[in-house]
Amino acid sequence: MKSLLALSRVIDAMNERLSYIANWLVMLSCLISAGNAFSRYAFGASSNAWLEIQWYMFAGMVMLGTSYTLKKNEHVRVDIVFSNLNTRRQIGVDIFGAIFFLLPATLIMAYLSWPIFHNSWVENEVSTNAGGLTRWPVKIFIPLGFALLSLQGFSELIKRWAMLTGHMKANLHYERPLQ
Amino acid sequence: MISRELMAPLMFGGLVVFMLIGYPVTFSLAAVGLFFGFISIHLGFFDFILLQALPERVYGILSNDTLLAIPFFTLMGAILERCGLAEDLLDGLGQLFGPVRGGLGYAVIVVGAILGAITGTVAASVIAMGLISLPVMMRYGYDQRFATGVIAASGTITQLIPPSLVLIVLADVLGRSVGDMYAGAWGPSVVQVLLFSAYVLLVSFVKPEWVPGIPRESLTLHGWPLVKKCLWGIVPSLVLIFLVLGTIFLGLATPTEAGAMGTVGAIVLAVVHRPEFSKRAKIAFWIGAVAITVISVPEALLLMPEAMPQVVLDASTGFLATFKTPLFIVFYAGLAMVMLESVLIPTLRGLLAEASRSTMRITAMVIFILIGSTIFTLVFRGVDGDLWIEHLLSGLPGGKVGFLIFVNVFVFFLAFFLDFFEIAFIIVPLLAPVAAKLGIDLIWFGVLLCVNMQTSFMHPPFGFALFYLRSIAPKEIKSSAIYWGAIPWVVLQVIMVAIVIAWPGLVTAFLDKGNDVDPTKIKIEVPASDYDKKEGAEEEAPPDFSTPEKK
Repeated sequence: MKSLLALSRVIDAMNERLSYIANWLVMLSCLISAGNAFSRYAFGASSNAWLEIQWYMFAGMVMLGTSYTLKKNEHVRVDIVFSNLNTRRQIGVDIFGAIFFLLPATLIMAYLSWPIFHNSWVENEVSTNAGGLTRWPVKIFIPLGFALLSLQGFSELIKRWAMLTGHMKANLHYERPLQ
Repeated sequence: MISRELMAPLMFGGLVVFMLIGYPVTFSLAAVGLFFGFISIHLGFFDFILLQALPERVYGILSNDTLLAIPFFTLMGAILERCGLAEDLLDGLGQLFGPVRGGLGYAVIVVGAILGAITGTVAASVIAMGLISLPVMMRYGYDQRFATGVIAASGTITQLIPPSLVLIVLADVLGRSVGDMYAGAWGPSVVQVLLFSAYVLLVSFVKPEWVPGIPRESLTLHGWPLVKKCLWGIVPSLVLIFLVLGTIFLGLATPTEAGAMGTVGAIVLAVVHRPEFSKRAKIAFWIGAVAITVISVPEALLLMPEAMPQVVLDASTGFLATFKTPLFIVFYAGLAMVMLESVLIPTLRGLLAEASRSTMRITAMVIFILIGSTIFTLVFRGVDGDLWIEHLLSGLPGGKVGFLIFVNVFVFFLAFFLDFFEIAFIIVPLLAPVAAKLGIDLIWFGVLLCVNMQTSFMHPPFGFALFYLRSIAPKEIKSSAIYWGAIPWVVLQVIMVAIVIAWPGLVTAFLDKGNDVDPTKIKIEVPASDYDKKEGAEEEAPPDFSTPEKK
């Protein structure tokens, strides 16, 4: 159990670090988008590379940030039943969900999405737009994001199990995200 | 052996059960989709190739320029929420309208609409109004139920007034342009504000003791200081509204860019509101403001070529030809100085960091619901689930109207326990093809659903707006007051749905009128957006709602 919890801490720490990058991407992509609009309007200067980098960053913020969002328990749930369960049952739901929903789904998606990165890498695919960017750096986010998500799911599973067996204090605070 | 016809109902049933147990929706969706996908492959209903299309779909979502507007508008809302604009507005307008019977109610509705036109988050409006207006209303003896109800309801106006996130999401799901959705939402937004105000007026006649006027002697501001306070709230709001909505409708920017510019505007506003705002940046701010004003005057004149004499037009063109670039450089320099300030002031730096953190998580959450539902929907269509739904819904009596009534009742009840992202991403894609087949205008359909989904924020006891209000309301306000207070407003919302069904012109009239400055024709001047035709073709093009090819 101890070594598993240590592993879980390593995963958590890694995904938290990656989430810092995702945070930066939010602000950066926003400034680039505004800057692009400003410069197009004032100087008639704009470029496809600047347009494309925005959604590269968008892909980055979603795929790098999703694991941390899972760690923070902020993926939205239908909590009509869940919120009325006691803590042990809630942990039970999370363990069941991690084993039967999250892990299989993310592992399959990581496996399925590897080829689109790999092909893009091998063929050195470049955007068809004038001045566009190389494609593989954005495509790698898809398998990477799903792989990180399954790692985080595994870490959550360890933590839930530790809570159930009393190795860890139960902390299942869930609040629907603000909108 | 399961027959093919059974797959779709089983999938749908499985989804309902697995969502109800409360595991995060996106993973339940993905798992149900993949599970049934593999069963179907095993039973030979379709080929493995169908599942191999999934990563391309995910890529299509991530490379979608419209969805990029979600983090931008969320970020803008997160910054505005903390910069004091709502407080200024409420304080000023509250004192302006206060002495009238029901005045604080009108103030809250107007502020709700203004905040709604700037940004797209319900939480920000409800929390601000709950913190500022609720104590004032209590102090002067407003009825608890009325006060909490009007605040929760006004907070949800945000959902309908452009630039709302719901409309962006619905535009994406329905395969229509965001500009069109925005144009269509204007009519109902205005009607809604009027309807809410009419209710306040009604209450002030029927139950005057619920909504007493504030005694004049208790106002802290009079005359010019009061006007100044109101202007201090309204002028920045108007600038932001222009920056966001004006640029979209004039075709100067895409909705995504408008969101990004709005965020820059919000940062500037946050800086200007800080007491630490340095002298040198203040000077830069005013120089920049003057520069942009000087540019916008001739620009504005050129926007109305018919109404202006030729001399004025020529003068404007000439002026811009010479001074546009230098003035813009001055403006951007000023802007950069002010933005620099936001990094230099520690509290503001913290605010921005916190805002991007919460934005990142909301974006990841929302986009992952979409990814999960894409996986589900692909397989669901693969087993002819779309045909099944269509068969069910087109069998309804009453044709078009029957369908609309059914859909609205259905969504109304779903809204009790699903929130709008879930409804928009999971349910709407199933309904849209049927609506399209029945000849229903999808913009109208989207706006209608948007009005309906506003109730999901107000349904006791699960509505978001009520949650937010509970979390910040003073203790002496009972939860039951918040719940009961919401009910008349939910009824008003249902009336709104009926109005939009009865008068589709409310939505479509604005679309036709917008033809001279067609927001759908917004083009970025570089030969861009070719990428969506090449790689993301499947996702970027309006969904054709046909079944994917299968074996």
